[in-house]
Amino acid sequence: MSRGVMLMSGGIDSPVALHYMLRQGHEMTCVHMDNRPFTDDSPLAKVVDHLEVLRARYGQKIPMYLLPHGPTQVQLMRETDRHVGCVLCRRFMWRSAERIAVREGATFLATGESLGQVASQTLSNMRTATASVSLPIVRPLVGFDKQEIEAVAKSIGTYEISTRPGLCCQAVPSKPATRSNLVQILQEEQRIDVDQMLDDVLRHATVL
Amino acid sequence: MTYETLALCASKGAYEAVPRPKLSLNLSDAKRRLEAAGVPVTDARVMLIVTMEREVTLSRDGRVLIKSRDAKEAERVFERLRKVVGLPERATEPP
Repeated sequence: MSRGVMLMSGGIDSPVALHYMLRQGHEMTCVHMDNRPFTDDSPLAKVVDHLEVLRARYGQKIPMYLLPHGPTQVQLMRETDRHVGCVLCRRFMWRSAERIAVREGATFLATGESLGQVASQTLSNMRTATASVSLPIVRPLVGFDKQEIEAVAKSIGTYEISTRPGLCCQAVPSKPATRSNLVQILQEEQRIDVDQMLDDVLRHATVL
Repeated sequence: MTYETLALCASKGAYEAVPRPKLSLNLSDAKRRLEAAGVPVTDARVMLIVTMEREVTLSRDGRVLIKSRDAKEAERVFERLRKVVGLPERATEPP
């Protein structure tokens, strides 16, 4: 089986997606984009607890990289069009995960996304966001509905963790774009120094 | 113009105060007032992230979000922010 990097948010979906990847025998490394101060401490605490549950279940170490995302969000809010903020944010998450994948010798990226749940998960936005990376992306839950995902989460013991009180992302604009085109997104990214920002993120990475 | 009673937000992770009607805050002015009072502020253009006893976000439309799950603490932080920035008073009764 192969080695992959999974984006973990602390929500209901990502631990379920990770569960499927581990069940198939893949060797997974996790990445959590730390969105403070646009959220509170709860997403990180939830991810730590999710990994504890899944490490015990699969007897694997499952390393996790914690990457600071708050400074990136501040920069995006200051310099770019808020309407497409979720797509730009997502592109940074994918790029960060890809850099970790290169460092870890992983050959694919994975996520708990399923179609249409939130603004960043329309087909248009998913395509625009993932155009930022070249590694293949695996989405084990893409065709699941929420009830199916929740049922699996309950059965593997991650649902109670995911649904603890927490603060949603405060950087989400009031009317996020549900469609985006790559030309506009690339123009927005010309306002910022993407490589420098990524270097900063990776320089402050910690492994838990 | 007033703020509704402080209430836990939908995800129950913070207390939120929403002005009715919405405000159109001058965040540069709010930032200047906060800094003059010695309060650390991060300017994210459409919102300020303010570090008081607890972290607070102040949005351009006047929405205040206090990262605390303690009602009394949230009340205290809100009142301090309100006075420093010059926000409208909070309604004693829900509107």
